[in-house]
Amino acid sequence: MANRTLPRLLQTPAVVFLLIWMLVPLGMTLYFSFIRYVLINLRRPEWATPSLSNWRGFGNYKYVLEAKDFWMAIQNSVLIVSSILILTVILGLMIAVLVNRTFPGRGIVRVLLISPFFVMPAVNAVLWINMILDPVLGLNGLAVTGLNEVLAGLRDFPVIGGFFSMWPEIKPMSFRASQTSAYAVIMMVTWQWTPFAVLIFMTSLQSEDESQKEAAMLDGANAWSQFINLTVPHLARPIAIVVMIQSIFHLSLYAEIEIVSRGNGNKNLPYLIGEFTSNNIGAASATGIFAVILANVVAIFLLRMVGKSLMD
Amino acid sequence: MAAVAQTSKLGKVLWPVLAWTIALIFFFPIFWLVFTSFKTDADAVKPEHLFFFTPTLENYTNMTENYDYWRFAINSVITSTFATGFALIVGVPAAYAMAFDPSRHTKDILVWMLSTKMLPAAAVLYPMTFLTKNVLGLFDTHFLIIVVLCLINLPIVIWMLFTYFKEIPKDIIEAGKMDGVSTWGEIKDILIPLAWGGIASTALLTFIFCWNEAYWTVRLTTIDAATLSKLIEGNRAPEGLFFGRLSAVSTAAVGPIVVLGWFCQKQLVQGLTFGAVK
Repeated sequence: MANRTLPRLLQTPAVVFLLIWMLVPLGMTLYFSFIRYVLINLRRPEWATPSLSNWRGFGNYKYVLEAKDFWMAIQNSVLIVSSILILTVILGLMIAVLVNRTFPGRGIVRVLLISPFFVMPAVNAVLWINMILDPVLGLNGLAVTGLNEVLAGLRDFPVIGGFFSMWPEIKPMSFRASQTSAYAVIMMVTWQWTPFAVLIFMTSLQSEDESQKEAAMLDGANAWSQFINLTVPHLARPIAIVVMIQSIFHLSLYAEIEIVSRGNGNKNLPYLIGEFTSNNIGAASATGIFAVILANVVAIFLLRMVGKSLMD
Repeated sequence: MAAVAQTSKLGKVLWPVLAWTIALIFFFPIFWLVFTSFKTDADAVKPEHLFFFTPTLENYTNMTENYDYWRFAINSVITSTFATGFALIVGVPAAYAMAFDPSRHTKDILVWMLSTKMLPAAAVLYPMTFLTKNVLGLFDTHFLIIVVLCLINLPIVIWMLFTYFKEIPKDIIEAGKMDGVSTWGEIKDILIPLAWGGIASTALLTFIFCWNEAYWTVRLTTIDAATLSKLIEGNRAPEGLFFGRLSAVSTAAVGPIVVLGWFCQKQLVQGLTFGAVK
């Protein structure tokens, strides 16, 4: 066995940096979550500096748990993350199977498909909420206006006009209200991350055992039963990995929420923490600890699921 | 048999048509962004100019006046490049040691590193602001953004390098050891030339992640070290008055990275799945 000191030494900088990066801020958050710490409070200016004499115990946690915003943010986080996961996995599977065949221009199709993944989140949000989904100036608004014009034209026709005049004027959906803006976020993130799922599923499909498929075909299995019985089990691991990586990213989704729904009530945990941080640091920190706990629960669950396969 | 042949004939036409349609739908928003960037702000919101208009480059030529684009772009280039460089400098030796001289704890260390990625950034927002503003005095400096980008990407860098290095036969490194080559020599003369492709794609992917990062670059900067993410985030223009110019600056912000991304599709899979999907 060679000298062990050197390899350890080579890892030390990475481990030490990451340890500091993780422990120092997290330790501070933990500390702040147990004290009264309010940046601007005219009656109690002593709360503006962190100090152990402002100890509040679990008061901040209680305050956060009783805040309506907190439960809304949790609910929204769960809604957004789970919708995105379901949509990207289903769409990703369908598109991966579709693109896995050879056909003319497959290379270009792949390049077009993967592109959304590299768009920076801020541009993604600005592009979707303004140019595509805006109810007046975006394509959404323009399409509805066009549709209404066509409907109005049809109403003037004899006979069938009577049928169309029963149709109401279509109103474009606004994506800036609190509930609909969550849909907008789901839509834009799904657009961005479906390509990622496609790419991973496609890579995995290419390593699928073709001879098994042929055997199944000879046994008279149709395409659907081949897909369900052979392809889906083969894709179990990539699906788990797609779910894991996306959960990591989407639990801390921020730029999209910030741009799409500033101040309209569609919050997730990172956004709520940002709001608290403008004044009530104690509450922000307690919310932060809840976010860490939530992320850890998800992480432990997911790592159990895929952790072993990562190491082989 | 005839029926089968017929459906496959139909499939031969339908399949590519379907694939192309879906690809075009996915690409459409990007196309629309680039398309709108050639319209004037006035044309961009007029339905009659939806598809037909006189293309103009004024949004691009005025990008500096309208948005001070280059200032932000240069900040993005500086921070992403240095962060990638530092991440490799720290990551290559660590991954080398883990791949060729693993101890009992190597797996645990790797999983722990990955778990630091799972901590939600927002949870430490105030401590980070407090530390950088009041304690270290680094708020809104390039140095801070470089360090932060480097650290948030370090786990992925080490994982990626680790999976690449693991594929190099141990004997080659061992042979170097027998010949009395120093560790530094092993890394420099044996490992780096052998794993060059893997290191390059790790660098490329890290650069893309740094470029697109949108939490710390927004929350820990004001002007001096502000990157393109901050620029776009600050110009969301909900009234739609500036669709043309906003599209141009957005195109300029994402264009190079999307093109760069096209070249590392395959590495993306290995990088993001830590070699678990092949």
